[in-house]
Amino acid sequence: MPDELSIYVHIPFCARKCNYCAFYSLPGCGEQIKRDYADALIRQINAFQTDKTVRTVYFGGGTPPVLGAQRLLSVFETIKNNFLLSADCEITVEVNPGSVKPDELTLLREAGFNRLSVGMQSAVDSELKILGRQYTRAHFQTIMESAQSAGFENRSVDVMFGIPGQTKESLQESLRFALGLGAAHISIYNLTIEEGTPFFRQKDVLGLPDEETESEMYDLICETMQKAGFHHYEISNFALSGFESKHNLHYWACGRYAGFGAAAHSYYNGKRFSNVSDVEKYIALAGDDYYAPTDYEKQPFLTEDDQKEEYILLGLRTSKGIKADKTLLDKCKKYVEHGYAQVRNGYLSLTDKGYRISNYIISELI
Amino acid sequence: MYDIKKIRNFSIIAHIDHGKSTLADRLLEFTHAVSEREVVDQMLDSMELERERGITIKARAVRFDYKADDGEIYTFNLIDTPGHVDFGYEVSRSLKACEGALLVVDATQGIQAQTLANAYLAVDNDLEIVPVINKIDLASADVEMTKREIEDIIGIPAEDAPCISAKLGTNIKDVLEKVVKDIPCPKGDPSAPLKALIFDSFYDAYKGVIVYIRVFDGTIAVGDKIRMMNSCAEYEVVEVGTLSAFHLNPCAALRAGEVGYFTASIKNIQETEVGDTVTHVDRPTEKPMPGFKKAIPMVFAGIYPADGARYEDLKDALEKLRLNDASLVFEPETSAALGFGFRCGFLGLLHMEVIEERLEREFDLDLITTAPSVIYELKLVNGSVVRIDNPSNYPKPEEIETAFEPIVKASIITPAEYVGSIMELCQDRRGTFKDMKYIDANRTELHYELPLNEIIYDFFDALKSRSKGYASLDYEIIGYKPSKLVKLDILLNGDIVDALSFIVHADKAYPRARRIVEKLKDNIPRQLFEIPVQAAIGGKIIARETVKALRKDVLAKCYGGDITRKKKLLEKQKEGKKRMRTFGTVQVPPEAFMAVLKLDDES
Repeated sequence: MPDELSIYVHIPFCARKCNYCAFYSLPGCGEQIKRDYADALIRQINAFQTDKTVRTVYFGGGTPPVLGAQRLLSVFETIKNNFLLSADCEITVEVNPGSVKPDELTLLREAGFNRLSVGMQSAVDSELKILGRQYTRAHFQTIMESAQSAGFENRSVDVMFGIPGQTKESLQESLRFALGLGAAHISIYNLTIEEGTPFFRQKDVLGLPDEETESEMYDLICETMQKAGFHHYEISNFALSGFESKHNLHYWACGRYAGFGAAAHSYYNGKRFSNVSDVEKYIALAGDDYYAPTDYEKQPFLTEDDQKEEYILLGLRTSKGIKADKTLLDKCKKYVEHGYAQVRNGYLSLTDKGYRISNYIISELI
Repeated sequence: MYDIKKIRNFSIIAHIDHGKSTLADRLLEFTHAVSEREVVDQMLDSMELERERGITIKARAVRFDYKADDGEIYTFNLIDTPGHVDFGYEVSRSLKACEGALLVVDATQGIQAQTLANAYLAVDNDLEIVPVINKIDLASADVEMTKREIEDIIGIPAEDAPCISAKLGTNIKDVLEKVVKDIPCPKGDPSAPLKALIFDSFYDAYKGVIVYIRVFDGTIAVGDKIRMMNSCAEYEVVEVGTLSAFHLNPCAALRAGEVGYFTASIKNIQETEVGDTVTHVDRPTEKPMPGFKKAIPMVFAGIYPADGARYEDLKDALEKLRLNDASLVFEPETSAALGFGFRCGFLGLLHMEVIEERLEREFDLDLITTAPSVIYELKLVNGSVVRIDNPSNYPKPEEIETAFEPIVKASIITPAEYVGSIMELCQDRRGTFKDMKYIDANRTELHYELPLNEIIYDFFDALKSRSKGYASLDYEIIGYKPSKLVKLDILLNGDIVDALSFIVHADKAYPRARRIVEKLKDNIPRQLFEIPVQAAIGGKIIARETVKALRKDVLAKCYGGDITRKKKLLEKQKEGKKRMRTFGTVQVPPEAFMAVLKLDDES
């Protein structure tokens, strides 16, 4: 694994900012800045030299196609020219059903993208409206069908729980709908109210589900996905066999990755670091030196203890779990006894019940 | 140059915030005892904590010269006094060292409880009182009214009282001239047997204990063999000197009427108690200064390091504090719940808070403190009498014949509009109404007898909140009375947590039990299992709450491989867990202990 590399490309542009979003993204940017940004991405990618094989590429955001499909493809071309991509390389692009065009999907597929992550969040129109998503359930269906026609067999759908007004029934309906449209992978997100978002200001009047309901929602998701034949391979991800996200698993296996673009994170050359999050600064800094837009110099080298800690906190997110020695088993005895964790083939992993309180458990083990 | 007629020894007494320390600063500035540059806000209050709270905890003294209008140069010794009821005895010893006192009264507030209490102390010590009316620069100042109050209530003339603004430095010279004219010079004979009063002391790592004294008779010089008449400790004087704002100024000798310090390589501050008399071994004075009392701790609490591994650090810190504070007592104590710690005795609640804050601030310790307790006297059925300051040692109910608790006489001065609410508070705290005096159209003085254990929790805070901060309190212990007491235990998951037990009057047990279990429920984080939180007397449960089991504790999406942020959150959570104490299977954060101590007056 350490000899393999993943690539993450961040596109911080959106058609419109959603009501809950606290991530770094810029809605409504002009063409000039997008052009400059694509050029900067290409410069930073060209400045990165490696002989490692790339097994996954991930374009995330923001909403990557908002950069402009042709620019997106030029960036991807640069990656293909600059790196050795493995034959089975997983190449994902995130899309927003509200802004992606069916013909763009065809272009992306033809260029070599082979996995699509669709930010559905909900299949209930009233919930989409509250979230500030600019599409309907029916439109989402059209996008999923176009994706299938374009040749995206590996389609992942994001589903959110804890949405204002959401019930267990409406959540189940969203899951059912995504599955019915052939999603091979489901990522679930618990809505968190972050400071600085429109939701934060209204949080007392939003009608958010209480903690108990959210907890039942999580249980419901686990149950529903299991019945649909999906494998709960990571805390918030479910997949049909063979459709697990290699990119995500690479993160949890402490794999190395190089991030390109404003605010993109990297784990490379002994450190975890990130690019400057401001788009204009990023454009100005990206040049011949890959590290110029990063804070690599400021970050510490990961010590052996850091690595051990990460192995635990990342590994316990997956169903594979972590190698269990005697000390660890002693510490986890109470969790195993009460069904929060399990030991299989010498590996300790969390159960669905354990995932639900994973912070509580992991913070005790690191 | 020594001329006893040119010496003036005086204190400044005032209610909190009436401007005592600011006036002291101005006096020193005016006489160039310090340059303005050196004035770091109220130099007499040298402890950081005092500065923040605007109160003076330990006495300090400064000597400075003043050239008066009569052309003569006078030597002033300004002796500062602590300004809180917990330190009443120390105040009285500081006053004992003086011939006069400046009574500072805030012209916007008039006479307050501590103005009166301190004025009475000054009268008891035969001091000449010079009233000073402060804060005349403020729009709400009422000088005439304040003068009338001083005359009517304290009974001293105030017509010629200096009217000043210590803040702006207005009319400071009037005060100095008053000191020269109205405060008598000391009496005493420098050739008589030595008689000197200890009014403060502190520990210096190089010189040992530095003892602050006022010489009444005789002369103390380097090389003298001296004896502390109460502690009987004998030493040879290494250094004597006078005190300036920032330095010790060694000199050859201190004579009758003078104020200064001596050192004698004394290691143990307990040998130089405030109020003790210093005399010569060879030629002792006949009688010590009257009125010596040992400082008696009235409030007790267990103090534990939040991190059990820091027990030794806590021990070192307490020992260091004791070097400067003869009234702090402590002994090792073990709690099943909290591990190793110390049972500490304090003069009062403020003293306790001061010690806690100094431990946390100066020694960087995280503490868990148990509920404060007073000393109860129990007459047992077997005829013996025991004194209990720790709920853990409280006998079984059937072994107790009669329980007694300490009672204080409290004086509360408040604007008339809050009288009703304050009487309600005193009633609620099991007070017995004694009498009520109208100081003027606006202010009323209430006298109550109150159980000490009712005022050591949050009485002062409640008093302040009910009077919008205007009411003031002074109290002294007057004795013990029989009382219906019970021991209340707190159980977590069925097990008694000894550190949370306390003794309470039977009538107050139910409401307090309710509030405590509610507070604990709110402050104990959810855990894997449901945790019953119960309060019990004997074996009987009288209140119950439940901390529900943890259902969900999971982080949101990991954004673009940002693992560092996630790691930080988990590490923070881990740190929080480390600070928790484990009782059986239950983890309790230190905040839960604090919350129990800070029960609101409401509800």
